[in-house]
Amino acid sequence: MYKKFLALVVFAGLIFACSSSGGGGGVDPGDDDVFVDNFDRGAMLTALADQVITQAYDGFHTQMIMLNQAGMNFVAAPDQTTLSNLRNGWFNAYKVWQYIEMFNIGKAEELQYSFYMNVYPLSVTDVENNITNGGYDLYAVGNQDAVGFPALDYLLYGLADNDADILAKYTTDVNADGYKTYLTDVLTQMDDLTRLVVNDWGEGYRDTFINNSGNTSTSSLNILVNSFVQYYEKKLRANKIGIPAGVFSGNPLPDKVEALYRKNGSKELAEIALQAVEDFFNGKQYNGGAEAESFKTYLSYLDRDDISNNILSQINTAQAQLNSLSNNFYEQVNTDNSQMLMTYDELQKVVVFIKNDMPNAFNVSIVFQDNDGD
Amino acid sequence: MKKTLLLAAAFGTLLFASCNNSDDDPVDPPVVVEAPATYSFERDGATSVSFSGQTTRILMAEEIIDAMKDPSFTEAQIDAMYDHVQGTNNFADANLNAADKSVRGKTAASFDFFSANATVAQQVKADFDSWIQEQVNDVYPAWNNTASAGVAGNLQEAGGGSIRYINAKGLELNQAFNKGLIGALMVDQMINNYISNQVLDNFAADNDAETLVDGKNYTDMEHDWDEAYGYLYGTATDLTNPNPTVGGDDSFLNKYLGRVEGDADFAGIADDIYNALKLGRAAIVAKDYDLRNEQAEIIREKVSTIVGVRSVYYLQQAKNGLEAGTVDYASVFHDLSEAFGFIYSLQFTRQTNSSNPYFTRSEVDALIDQFYGSLTNGFWDLTPAILQDMSDTIAAKFSFTVDMAGS
Repeated sequence: MYKKFLALVVFAGLIFACSSSGGGGGVDPGDDDVFVDNFDRGAMLTALADQVITQAYDGFHTQMIMLNQAGMNFVAAPDQTTLSNLRNGWFNAYKVWQYIEMFNIGKAEELQYSFYMNVYPLSVTDVENNITNGGYDLYAVGNQDAVGFPALDYLLYGLADNDADILAKYTTDVNADGYKTYLTDVLTQMDDLTRLVVNDWGEGYRDTFINNSGNTSTSSLNILVNSFVQYYEKKLRANKIGIPAGVFSGNPLPDKVEALYRKNGSKELAEIALQAVEDFFNGKQYNGGAEAESFKTYLSYLDRDDISNNILSQINTAQAQLNSLSNNFYEQVNTDNSQMLMTYDELQKVVVFIKNDMPNAFNVSIVFQDNDGD
Repeated sequence: MKKTLLLAAAFGTLLFASCNNSDDDPVDPPVVVEAPATYSFERDGATSVSFSGQTTRILMAEEIIDAMKDPSFTEAQIDAMYDHVQGTNNFADANLNAADKSVRGKTAASFDFFSANATVAQQVKADFDSWIQEQVNDVYPAWNNTASAGVAGNLQEAGGGSIRYINAKGLELNQAFNKGLIGALMVDQMINNYISNQVLDNFAADNDAETLVDGKNYTDMEHDWDEAYGYLYGTATDLTNPNPTVGGDDSFLNKYLGRVEGDADFAGIADDIYNALKLGRAAIVAKDYDLRNEQAEIIREKVSTIVGVRSVYYLQQAKNGLEAGTVDYASVFHDLSEAFGFIYSLQFTRQTNSSNPYFTRSEVDALIDQFYGSLTNGFWDLTPAILQDMSDTIAAKFSFTVDMAGS
């Protein structure tokens, strides 16, 4: 590996020696740095930070505050109206969450933010044990599948077969206080974690992020590319489609869909997630408006529009296939799983472009690994 | 690789031929031993390859490590699986019950390392016995408890991940057993027994005369070499052309050859081993024992490398985990438990052109003491510095670096 690395350095050096004009040259090589090209990585990181990432975080933070407020209103007076409002707040926030789950960097990575926000399938046993026994620590790693959006999904839709019986859990049930407390604690944790992550971007991480513009394994672009690819492969392709469709188990596992208890939200969340991936690649601002510097413009700078075209055209194919599915993946898996498998296949075809071609063009190594499987 | 070997063989033959020119005797045409395309060898139109005993032991070992994750098993049941007696119903698979093989009988049982070292052979067997005992007596009763420093029980990995069952010092005993067996059974039998010239040379006269084992279609020497092959490829999807599925065919040596092959720094190692096994077997058929021994040396080096790389890999994974912002202890302890087993297995590796392992038993004991035994609460008390130090110690004896093995 080291030899290959050295060869690359020498090769890059030769190219550098021959090129007379360069771009902006935002790269400040440190000790371990490899000179790659003259693309201004710092400018791209700035654009992504200011126009894409922090905008999406702010959008989510707003939804999270509204969700938390709706939760407090419900706990204060559980009835059909407050339940409906809370459900709306939950799903609205869940949709925007799809735009930020891919940013497993900085404070989010340090806190394992996404593991406390969206691990499914939920462990109903853990949730019910926590409610029954009390004295739980929602920050215990073992409770990551008992909190976050999936826990709310269960608490708002899954406690009983109809709304009257669900409301009874919070009103007349012997442990109604336990349910209300757990709901509150889950919301508080989500709100606290979100605040920590969002504030960190506002309090210095943005500058750290845009200034770390070199090319080592700990440089921002390297971390961002790895986080982006890992998100796409694991959280989107596998968790949303592949695992319920039985790609990794041989048998379909419909209980493992996202938003299982709401029943008809899984497709919408997956569609938004795929749109978010496309938007991030394009550098599209979360609030609309012009596209910023992005992976796409970097590839264009490198004269590799062919890779961008492959990525975008395959995402479009996957979107069309995804769009043809039932709104309710649980139902889709049970009625015609072949359509789920076809969707997985179309999503998988994107992987080679974003995991091999794009990082190679950027000279960025993919370093995350799948676990052992035992 | 094949081309190189052929070239080397051709070159060697040329030298040989030119030396012979001074002789007055007529010169035989030079014989170049060629490995077949796949591990297929025949005599009189029927296969001469057999390694069913190895397949059987791998399958037995698979059931044993499953039993070590199932608290409905008693210690006596698992002991009986490990030390199987023919006709006893220890296994779910009836073919295994009928077999006259046992896993314990071949634990630390190679000719080169243990024929004159019964003391250590017994100590190794006792280690495996003790891991079964501790799992059943200390971990199974705590199966549904949450583990903490000094307390056995379970821990769940981050992200709703796997649940790990550990002793009071953080060790998964089933992992110690599983990864330890890779060294004590598969590696030891393969590289210190069945491809050993000390074992094979006993059969040289019979092999030269092509005297077959009674009722079989193979010579003793051919069969021994096949048995070495079987400890790596005995459960392969395609037994003659196993590398397309390498890594997916068992939970032992095959699995981790696949893992090391998947690391770009070591890509090609699976073909190197497979080609050496093929050429060595062809050399036995051609009665070219020097060529056979050269292949044995390649196999020893590469197979030992698997154990060394995975020892360092898991130590580095655990180190990274300990340094993370939020420590996922279940995942870290899982890596450490795998490291424990691979480090244990280092005592069965073999240095090139040597009769010594890369790490002796006492050196292995010292390593395990460093990150487990000497610490009051074992893995719970570890620091990243200890894991780095151990990684450096291990990599220094091999031809790879910590960085190469660590990712």
